[in-house]
Amino acid sequence: MTDDSEFIVDLKQVTFKRGGRTIFDGVDIRIPRGKVTGIMGPSGCGKTTLLRLIGAQLRPESGEVLVNGQDIPRLRREALFRARQNMGMLFQSGALFTDLSVFENVAFPLRVHTELSEDMIADIVKLKLQAVGLRGANGLMPDELSGGMKRRVALARAIALDPELLMYDEPFVGQDPISMGVLVRLIRLLNDALGLTSIVVSHDLAETASIADYLYVIADGQVLGHGAPDELMESDNPRIRQFMRGEPDGPVPFHYPAKDFTDDLLQRGEHK
Amino acid sequence: MRTRTLELTVGLFILVGILALLVLALRVSGLSISPGNDTYKIHAHFDNIAGLTPRAKVTMAGVTIGQVTAIEFDKSRYTARVEMAIDGNVNTLPSDSAASILTAGLLGEKYVGISVGGEDSMLKDGDRIVDTQSALVLEELIGRFLLSTVSKED
Amino acid sequence: MKTLSDRIALMGASGLDVVAALGRSGVFLFHALLGRSNFGSGWNLFVKQLYAVGVLSLAIIIVSGLFIGMVLALQGYNILSTYGSEQAVGQMVALTLLRELGPVVTALLFAGRAGSALTAEIGLMKATEQLSGLEMIGVDPLKYVIAPRLWAGFVSMPLLAMIFCVVGIWGGAMVAVDWLGVYAGSYWSNMQNSVEFGSDIINGLIKAVAFAFVVTWIAVFQGYDCEPTSEGISRATTRTVVYASLAVLGLDFILTALMF
Repeated sequence: MTDDSEFIVDLKQVTFKRGGRTIFDGVDIRIPRGKVTGIMGPSGCGKTTLLRLIGAQLRPESGEVLVNGQDIPRLRREALFRARQNMGMLFQSGALFTDLSVFENVAFPLRVHTELSEDMIADIVKLKLQAVGLRGANGLMPDELSGGMKRRVALARAIALDPELLMYDEPFVGQDPISMGVLVRLIRLLNDALGLTSIVVSHDLAETASIADYLYVIADGQVLGHGAPDELMESDNPRIRQFMRGEPDGPVPFHYPAKDFTDDLLQRGEHK
Repeated sequence: MRTRTLELTVGLFILVGILALLVLALRVSGLSISPGNDTYKIHAHFDNIAGLTPRAKVTMAGVTIGQVTAIEFDKSRYTARVEMAIDGNVNTLPSDSAASILTAGLLGEKYVGISVGGEDSMLKDGDRIVDTQSALVLEELIGRFLLSTVSKED
Repeated sequence: MKTLSDRIALMGASGLDVVAALGRSGVFLFHALLGRSNFGSGWNLFVKQLYAVGVLSLAIIIVSGLFIGMVLALQGYNILSTYGSEQAVGQMVALTLLRELGPVVTALLFAGRAGSALTAEIGLMKATEQLSGLEMIGVDPLKYVIAPRLWAGFVSMPLLAMIFCVVGIWGGAMVAVDWLGVYAGSYWSNMQNSVEFGSDIINGLIKAVAFAFVVTWIAVFQGYDCEPTSEGISRATTRTVVYASLAVLGLDFILTALMF
């Protein structure tokens, strides 16, 4: 069921807790259709949790997670299965199935959701691999690939079913400049060429800001702000400013809470 | 690993496992000697069976001809009623044959030995062996031995 | 500084954790074994796992079986000869193996070799997000990854236990007959006389099946439940071996009391 609304994903008043900590507290997030949206924030603020909420791997305590108008956490098996056909996710480490070859990995979603003939599957796999530049690596096993190549194969797998929504979980972590460049280019290219909506979760400011049309900054279970990257750079909110400019000290303090420095030094004789 | 080879290996593994079970069943536990197909039942009363258990063998001249199938306490006669299943081929046991409870080897599994009698009529299904010899109980033996030594010293 | 009440509270908390884990593992087992799968030639996956878990454990089972059988015959002969009953060594080896050592040692070896491998493999799949990946594609990892491994364990361990017993009895025969001079006829016939299919072999098989269930369940759950880091995986692997071994030994006591 597709909806031609402006927002493909709509989180309404979503609250999520884990292990006594509140990760999200009544947040509202709207992801515009057809654009690359970046979700940024300090480590541990729940960015990956957000993706899992959208993908129905986790259920919110309260609130709605609407994807194309469907409330994902409340879908039944069959409907959820079909909804997943429309979403692709690129995990941080690629998450390739280690006992299957590159070809089989990319073919996997096709085999699960469709009943296409082997020839058709082979063609589609080759198309997807060509898109990410790895058609020649068809027969290799995942442990023969470099980290960057693994992610590209995972990307091919994520687009195998031509989903509307693509989610990237920290795609830029630990990449060398070349693979970084490749990935950045691919994300933007695929988004535009295939008419997808992409959600990129990252704390890598420069890369994300360079391709994102829209940004959300999240911290402490709240949305600090959202808007186009340039807008946020000029934001009045000091916390957003500190994050966007990478300032070491500001609302997030440099010093871990401790007592006064002089007092601490003068007490050295009394240490136990 | 190629699927075909894999499947063959797994199939082989399962076959070997089942074979092991069969070997255990037939060679190790002597399952093949199973009564119940063509046997007839006879019973006997003993004063003391002292350790005879069901499934113990019933022999004649040392050859196994059947099995003990049940042991019960007879309330009216205060004896043990031992029921035996004898192989159908061995149907020429004279009706005055005697049954004794014997011990095999030092570790002492008890079994029933039948010694041949002299009558013309044969034992049939449901018959009873009248002449029985109970198991030897060690304490009684010692008692008897002591008694005989004492009486000798008179 | 922890006070006494803090420590007691901690014990209570870890007790609750254990109960919670037990509950999770029950739900886990239920979902893995029952209910429809929505993808998959479960058969192929099952066969692949049978190979990984069963066939690859054959080597250690056969070698151990052989040695244990031989040692049993050796020790048994020594002890029985003081009573002049060397001829009973056959039944001693057979009964010991079938009733106790076969199922128990196979289960312990299986826990160490196949169980720890299962835990590590599944834990690694969790840590590299392969399980999440499956979920996102719409395949239930419990049915696709876990269930074939469970069934493979349930099926292969009893078979391995039978093979262990046969190899052990044969090894014992080798030692007793060829080396120690026990008469071959007495070795086998005494054994046949005292081993009952119903109470010894079948009971041994029942034990093996029960152990297979417990060991495989623990191995697979620890992998699934572990913390998705390399430390978490290694801790889970250790836990598998320890818990599975304890469970086998405890279950053995209970089953023996019930059956024999």
